[in-house]
Amino acid sequence: MGNSERRSPTLQLETMIGAPGAALRLPLGEWEAGIVTVLREAFRFHFERNEFFRAQCDANGVTPDDIVTRADLPRVPLLPVSMFKRPDAHVLLTAPLNDIELEIRSTGTGGVPSVARRDTETVSRALIGILSTYRDFFALSKGAGLFLSPSTAETPEMGMVKVFNLLNGFFDDHVYVVRDYAFDPEEAIEHLNRWHGEMTRHIIGPPFLVNRLLRFLELEEQSLKLDQDSMVITLGGWKRYTGESISRDEFDGKIEKYLGITADRVRDMYGMIESNMLAVECEHHRKHVPPWCYVSIRDVSDVDVELPVGATGLIAILDATNESYPGFLLSDDVGEADESPCPCGRNGQTVTFRRRRHGAELGCCAVSIEKFIENKQIVAECAIPEAE
Amino acid sequence: MPRFSPTVVDHFTNPRNIGQLAGANVRAFVGNPVCGDQILLTAHVSDGIVADLKFQAFGCSASLAVASLLTTVLKGEPVNLAGTLDADRIEELTGGLAPDQRHVAALAADVAHRLAANFRSGVSDDDPITCAS
Repeated sequence: MGNSERRSPTLQLETMIGAPGAALRLPLGEWEAGIVTVLREAFRFHFERNEFFRAQCDANGVTPDDIVTRADLPRVPLLPVSMFKRPDAHVLLTAPLNDIELEIRSTGTGGVPSVARRDTETVSRALIGILSTYRDFFALSKGAGLFLSPSTAETPEMGMVKVFNLLNGFFDDHVYVVRDYAFDPEEAIEHLNRWHGEMTRHIIGPPFLVNRLLRFLELEEQSLKLDQDSMVITLGGWKRYTGESISRDEFDGKIEKYLGITADRVRDMYGMIESNMLAVECEHHRKHVPPWCYVSIRDVSDVDVELPVGATGLIAILDATNESYPGFLLSDDVGEADESPCPCGRNGQTVTFRRRRHGAELGCCAVSIEKFIENKQIVAECAIPEAE
Repeated sequence: MPRFSPTVVDHFTNPRNIGQLAGANVRAFVGNPVCGDQILLTAHVSDGIVADLKFQAFGCSASLAVASLLTTVLKGEPVNLAGTLDADRIEELTGGLAPDQRHVAALAADVAHRLAANFRSGVSDDDPITCAS
């Protein structure tokens, strides 16, 4: 290894996962080199082991060695997230079923659950990466957490609850106040009062439930003054939140009025259960893409086309940490990516979610699951029996 | 120790009788509102025998596997057999389920019972499964 290589090593995936705060503060050029390298290796991993993904690559005429610079990343074949709802989604797996440790699900708009299956290595990376990210963005190590969500015991496979639950380890006390799908704001306030003067109080939950708590306080003409370091951390539920016609500024304003928490300590997160990408807001309300992921904004009318930075389009996520299936996903979400410097000091990308995509399911795979399975069956049926 | 039995692995990776049966004369649907697992059976029952049967299932790997397994157990058998299967028997047929997978045996038993009951009463469940499959 030459001296120049020693002076400027490419960031390793393990370093990104274990120290995302440091990775996100690297100069933009180093971030770019690092993400291309780890995504190329992730691409190679699945290219060599996943027949379905390999069929997409072959159909598109792309190999891992073609991924040299960032401009090549859009060539990586994407899997639409709708595929994870399918009963034949086993073809997406790179890992054998017996390596699958955790199945996480969300409920789609049609009521059909999307199921993401993670093997042991992918679970380890996700847990370490998310915990390290929380630590970097929130610097939590004590206090009490009021979770406006069900417990993981009640909903063990629900992605949002699992991600919230990882915060639990930072707190000295916590309570879940959604039980049997019911939320009682009075009970939530009782817990906040119980911790008053004893611990710094934090509120964690989907925006629509935080909003429900705020509406209760508003109707009761009651204002709480939480603590100097209190935070409100939200994830998911934006559909309900926007459906109730409240803007982010109005949301933050009500939190300050009724809970005494300033906007810089109200942090939303964005992610999807199929990916190990959890983009967390800094104090400037920019959602930072973790260093092991690359967000590519695609043209809605031609998803093979990557749009320039700042343009609005479909959000695609390239995730280098997933070994159970190719973590190169085309979401149903519309938004933008930004790479301008953030005053918080973190570099890389930030992402903004605008809305869910409307319209029919996307069919961007070069080889459909049906065709892939059909071809395999034909090959199996026509195979020449081995000589005895 | 493997996380899934060989039977579950086999049915998950090579699902049998997948899809919806055209010309089915009985349909049974069961969904778990908490975890979101769903199984739809569509069958053609002739002279009390399940002549043909297909499934659609959404949810965890074990639920997809037991739905496939169920179709292989019921196909060609008297429809009344479906009403006699319980969760213990289905778990036995799978070769064993981990504690966090056992709910799928109950789900499979429920949908089997529903198939038998729907046939007896001459009703068919709606198709609530809306997926781009």
